[in-house]
Amino acid sequence: MEDSIGGSSSNDNNIIKEQDRLLPIANVGRLMKQILPQNAKISKEAKETMQECVSEFISFVTSEASEKCRKERRKTVNGDDICWALATLGFDDYAEPMRRKSRTKIQEASTNQNDLC
Amino acid sequence: MVMAEEEESGVSIQLEFPKGRVKKIMALDKDVKRVSSEALFLVSRSTELFLQFLAEKSAQVAIEKKRKTVNLEHIREAVKRHQPTRDFLLDELPPPSQPTKPDRPTQPAGRPKLDPPPRGTRRIDLFFRKPELDDPAQAQPPENPAQAQPPENPDQDQAQSPVPVDES
Repeated sequence: MEDSIGGSSSNDNNIIKEQDRLLPIANVGRLMKQILPQNAKISKEAKETMQECVSEFISFVTSEASEKCRKERRKTVNGDDICWALATLGFDDYAEPMRRKSRTKIQEASTNQNDLC
Repeated sequence: MVMAEEEESGVSIQLEFPKGRVKKIMALDKDVKRVSSEALFLVSRSTELFLQFLAEKSAQVAIEKKRKTVNLEHIREAVKRHQPTRDFLLDELPPPSQPTKPDRPTQPAGRPKLDPPPRGTRRIDLFFRKPELDDPAQAQPPENPAQAQPPENPDQDQAQSPVPVDES
């Protein structure tokens, strides 16, 4: 149920590839197209900017959650920490619906002996 | 790479972003040692919701400005309008550049702004003005209208400005 993510080789060498720092632009573009009206278009610059924005969002939420873990002397960031971070940062409307979904996933996963990650 | 999830209703939803990539971005924070699968799911899902939210707001800005293509300026405006997003994201966006084609033209299309004329150039309306006198007392009309005499040379005013001569 947990993933150790601290010791990747790219981090050890302090070399972070650009594509590892950003989410795939195809996924970002596809998700944007689903939201925009049919006749709307998205400039390449806008897609690249949105790539940066969502990566920054992940880092922002993760940083807040990991800070909470550090203060409480825990090593594992869990779902409660993420929900707390979202609420603290002003995105509390995301937290609760996802929390309910996530609880269902974990129960199903433990029943089926399948690990989500 | 896509991770399938199920809602309470049993309808499966798919996470749009590869969990491996999300995990790598989370791992950029040196303080993060371990992440539960639930936390990874929540981060991925909230990122999707955030992207959808920002795309929707950017589209609204584009519609307001009567544009069909969403661009960087529309995203910047959308970020400014939402306080939590503005707090962490506004400084991360590229600085605004002077747009080559502004959304609203500041200058009317019929009258383009011209460069200032070179020094020494006289305005054409000066040609049609009466010459101003240095002494204001002389500028007053004479008390007796009969004393007012026409200039000796009727072409005197025009002689002050050179007239081009066709040499051919």
